[in-house]
Amino acid sequence: MTSTKSASPFEDNIAFIQQQCGMNDDFAIRRFHVFGQYPAVIFCYDFMVDPQALNFDILKAMMYLPPQLREADIKPDQLLDIVVNDTLYYYKIKLEIRPKLWIDNLTRGRTVILIDGIDEALVLETRQIDKRAIEQPATEQVIRGPREGFIEVLSTNLTLIRYRLQTSDLRVKVMELGRRTKTAVAVCYMEDLTNPDLVEEVHRRLSKIDIDAVTDSGILEQFIEDNHFSPFPQVQYTERPDKVVSNLVEGRVCILVDGSPLALIVPTAFNQFYQTVEDYTERFLLMSAVRFARLIAIIFSLIFPSLYVAIISFNPELIPTEFAVAVAGGRAGVPFPAVVEVLIMEVSMEVLREATIRLPQQVGGALSIVGVLVIGQAAVSAGFASPITVVIIALTTIGSFATPAYNAALALRLLRFPLVVLAGVFGLYGVMIGLILIANHMLSLKSFGVPYLSPLAPGIFQGMKDMLFRAPLWWMPKRPGLLQTQNLHRLNPDQPIPPSRNAKSPLDLSNMEEEER
Amino acid sequence: MAKLHSAKIIHLTCVMVLTLPILTGCWDRLEIEDRAVVLGVSIDKAPPESANQETEVAHVEGANPIPPEDMIRVAVQIAIPGRIPLGPGESGGGGGGGGGKSSAANTVWVLHVVGHSIDDALMNLQQQVASSLFFGHLRVIVISEEVAKKGLENINDYFRRNSEVRRMAWILVAKGEAMQFLTAAPKLERVPTLYLLSTLEEGFRMGKFPQDFIGMFWSNSSKKGQEGFLPYVELKKENNVEIAYFKGPKMVGSTSPLEIGAYMAIKGINPAGYRVIVQLNGAADTVITAATHRKARYSVRIAEGRPHFTIHIAFEQNVEEKYSEHIGIDNQEILSNIEKKQAQVAVEYFEQFIRKTQEAHSDIFGFGEYIRAKRPAFWNRNVKTKEKWQEMYKDAEFDVTVTMKIRRVGMKAR
Amino acid sequence: MDKTRQITMIQIAAILVSTIIGVGVLPLPLFAVNALDSGAPLITLAAVLFGFISLLLLSLLGMRFPRQTIIQYSEQIIGKWPARAGSLLVIVFFAVLTSLTAREFGEVVVTSVLKNTPVEVTVIVMLLLATFSTRNDVTVFAYIHYFYFPLILFPALFIVALSLKNADALNLQPIWGNDPQGVIPGALTIAALFQGSFILTSVIPSMRRPQKALLASVVGMVIAGGLYVIIVAATVGVFGAEETKKLLWPTLELAKATSLPANVLERLDAAFLIVWVTAVFTTLLSSYFLTTQSLGLLFRLRDHKLFAFFLLPFVFVLAMLPQNIVQMYTIVRMVGRIGLILTLAYPALLLLVSILRKKRGEPVGEVAQR
Repeated sequence: MTSTKSASPFEDNIAFIQQQCGMNDDFAIRRFHVFGQYPAVIFCYDFMVDPQALNFDILKAMMYLPPQLREADIKPDQLLDIVVNDTLYYYKIKLEIRPKLWIDNLTRGRTVILIDGIDEALVLETRQIDKRAIEQPATEQVIRGPREGFIEVLSTNLTLIRYRLQTSDLRVKVMELGRRTKTAVAVCYMEDLTNPDLVEEVHRRLSKIDIDAVTDSGILEQFIEDNHFSPFPQVQYTERPDKVVSNLVEGRVCILVDGSPLALIVPTAFNQFYQTVEDYTERFLLMSAVRFARLIAIIFSLIFPSLYVAIISFNPELIPTEFAVAVAGGRAGVPFPAVVEVLIMEVSMEVLREATIRLPQQVGGALSIVGVLVIGQAAVSAGFASPITVVIIALTTIGSFATPAYNAALALRLLRFPLVVLAGVFGLYGVMIGLILIANHMLSLKSFGVPYLSPLAPGIFQGMKDMLFRAPLWWMPKRPGLLQTQNLHRLNPDQPIPPSRNAKSPLDLSNMEEEER
Repeated sequence: MAKLHSAKIIHLTCVMVLTLPILTGCWDRLEIEDRAVVLGVSIDKAPPESANQETEVAHVEGANPIPPEDMIRVAVQIAIPGRIPLGPGESGGGGGGGGGKSSAANTVWVLHVVGHSIDDALMNLQQQVASSLFFGHLRVIVISEEVAKKGLENINDYFRRNSEVRRMAWILVAKGEAMQFLTAAPKLERVPTLYLLSTLEEGFRMGKFPQDFIGMFWSNSSKKGQEGFLPYVELKKENNVEIAYFKGPKMVGSTSPLEIGAYMAIKGINPAGYRVIVQLNGAADTVITAATHRKARYSVRIAEGRPHFTIHIAFEQNVEEKYSEHIGIDNQEILSNIEKKQAQVAVEYFEQFIRKTQEAHSDIFGFGEYIRAKRPAFWNRNVKTKEKWQEMYKDAEFDVTVTMKIRRVGMKAR
Repeated sequence: MDKTRQITMIQIAAILVSTIIGVGVLPLPLFAVNALDSGAPLITLAAVLFGFISLLLLSLLGMRFPRQTIIQYSEQIIGKWPARAGSLLVIVFFAVLTSLTAREFGEVVVTSVLKNTPVEVTVIVMLLLATFSTRNDVTVFAYIHYFYFPLILFPALFIVALSLKNADALNLQPIWGNDPQGVIPGALTIAALFQGSFILTSVIPSMRRPQKALLASVVGMVIAGGLYVIIVAATVGVFGAEETKKLLWPTLELAKATSLPANVLERLDAAFLIVWVTAVFTTLLSSYFLTTQSLGLLFRLRDHKLFAFFLLPFVFVLAMLPQNIVQMYTIVRMVGRIGLILTLAYPALLLLVSILRKKRGEPVGEVAQR
């Protein structure tokens, strides 16, 4: 088919495209005649395009003259005009003259049409990718709150955000990352809210990325975070559009990646990792208590085993006498020191947890029960671990699951191990040294210029209303101060809250009066 | 970027090199089951022939300056791990006692040894126990009367210096042999010392005995104008606690149980837990009242170079019972009658008790402290030291007045 | 907005409080009762006022030269070489203070919790901890202090509150004491515990509004001094003056004499000591930060981080010099006295000369913004 020296540029272009893509079996080339007289050719990747649109809205429309122009005589120089303006039932049309970009467009699922005698190619957005339905977010489930989660397709995700945030101030800037994957990456922010320096910094960091493949937002995260050696995540991810929206209106920037159902939110402070959507949708008093429980779980998962080791091996005078004697009895048959015992149990717990994640769901549940039985009961009766150790490990493991953010929980779970070792060397002193090191590290962390422990560390009292507890929404009129937003208030602080008037006072009811009589 | 990485790696390596040697040592790790948890200590005077039993552990033979007749016998009560079961319901623990309730004999282990001083004795004792003695859970120290009368300086010093010992342990002075308190097997509690402890602590809660931790005893003994006192106990069926009062580090006397009530009243310590029998006219008119609340106020004036204390004590009481229906407790008159009668008895009793301590030069009430605090000029001029106050206390004058108020009579109207 | 000026007034106050409150609190009641038995709180108060003078001078100087630390403005005031000598003295003094703090706490830990651990190890661990954190910039330095501030304040107040039920007001009377013998040396010893407040001069150049330095130092001193007085009062109130004299670390003993209601933890001394690691750490951090930062400024280096590890061996060897705990406390007292001259007389001299020679630093804040 390929002829190297054909007469017209039309044939040259066809040859060029064919040379680039023609050896792929899923590449389609279809020749036809526009209005029955002008030769043209359609290029597309077969399975990426919408065949319905291609057949009826494009091919069919182009083959026949539009009824209003039946009588007219179409000259070649009018052709392009008529095709674009009168013929095609399609709104996404681009004209592209550079052959290199035709290829780019083709690989993205667009259709390229070449017409003999016209230098520009018509590029039509015909991409149709099979996508899964919008489902409930698997990792961030709520009882009260929206049920939609992001999916892999960027356009759908942007839709999900935009319909929640119907304002022209929402800016979406799409850039292309990945030398080979050419993944679309969308940066969203609020034009009139977000600190322009922050937006600029996000763009700067993103544009510096030069890698082969961006297959997930997690890849990007590793290139834009501040401290690569920290165990703590400095970028939050979420699959909830409502979370993205509320972060946007707080003045943060969100980054979405085509092909990833997880949006990134920057800057991120540590307190975001234990906040959930429900904290804000449910009543503040209850959720404050729940958040408190969550915080305790975080602390549990970090320090409980090391505290146990320190007290058992170094400072048994701290626990009540009877209990101490009983613990000594429980440990009497265990051959290892408490540090080793706890480390062994912790490691086997991690193994178990990892195995449970890898296994198919149906088997996973069964395994975890069996595992707990095996590890717990059998270890005790084999004289391998003391019963109290098992209790401690169980509490710790469960505590680590109470943290809403998986990556933050993972960080704390990892840090548990050095703490246990320190406890084994220095007792409580070692635990404290370890905690100070962790705290100092967290204090020195910054996420896009925002201190990681904000609002605690720089001491912003306004922000502390949403830290340990969650204040009622009407009591938090300002956006987080450290984001340095252009607009400070998120609600009118003067509005009468709570509503001061009853709709109907019982005294106004007429039947009451009747009863009086 | 690459440069930064290598810098970081060097940095990390430095940190590792610096910290790794630290990780190699676990100098203080001592598992809880490897500790011999000492729950109680008793200190007796050693039997005369004991000097020969001693082995050379803490000192070269003959090198100890303390004469053999001052040697002491120290016994410790060590909890046996596993015999005290984990949690409620489970009985027997590791199958030692053959199920059922475990008696003291198999939950604890008492062993004793002689020595020239506490530390000396404990060193000797350590020779007999494989695991190291751990005093972090020491709750009760029992000292025989004989040792207490000789003085507690060595004992105080050792336990104050040892950082494991808690200030909230108790020291008891035992009538007779001290060691028997460690071996006795109580019915209610699995561990004998813990039973002893709960006796004292419940006594405090019911107003039978003032709180008197080892730390309080030390503080009181240290004060210039006060002496320490300790519970003075005897191993009988009922819990008989009295007060052993000290002059400096030496025990100089003891009270009767009711005199503890007097002590607590003079100090105004609440809750009040003593009952008093009052006879109005004859045996048939006997009424028993229970004090519920006390309040004591002092004032002092200096007359003829001697302190003259006025003590005013106010009681609040309830009527608990009466012997017969001979009188009816239903009018103001009879209540004031009871109050008056009782106050009379109390004043006499209190004064007598104070006189008793005066004779022993043992100001367990801290009247000297009161002078030091309120009349510093007099104190600085005339007293200044503990010894001088011990002398002066004997000559101090006391006026006690008592106000009784009966507030309630129970559910009965008459 | 100036990116380097981020520290707020409250953070300065927190820095002062957590710097001042450190290992010195543990033997503090002993110092106080040795000076003036039952009048211990009074003498502590006097020492607080005394310590405040130095802080006052420093904040006045800092407000005069809001862009510079004492190392820099002293050169303007009294000339290059005298100032460098003075700065060197300050640096050496704070290096010694760092080492003594580490050693003192090492001794406390080894005596009461980790009996078999070599004191070298506990000291080097504390010093390493301070070294790592010193390598951060001044903003993070302020964050660290601010973050630990409640962790220092509340355990101390908690112990005091729990122990109050055992306290006896008679122990605190007469409030002017019975035996006023060692009042002046005692007050000086206690006043020496406030020397950490010298850190103020290092952080004023990073304050958002240096004019508030004086207010910050008043707030800091009221909190720290108040805590000192409260702790002394509680300890003497519980133990009595005579018993306190027999205790090496009465504050620790106070923790030992209290237990949580319902016996959650049977005794609080180990727990208290462990929480106190943070207090000691912040003190160490301040003095070490001051040392390295001043050294960096003295040698006109842009970055002080270089010195953090470089100085470590010297500080460690200094810390190991005292042979035993008694000698260590003798040295602590002596160094404290010398330090008083340095932290009081030197700033006073600088302030006086700067007033006489009408020297002033470049102002910042409202004036600059206009």
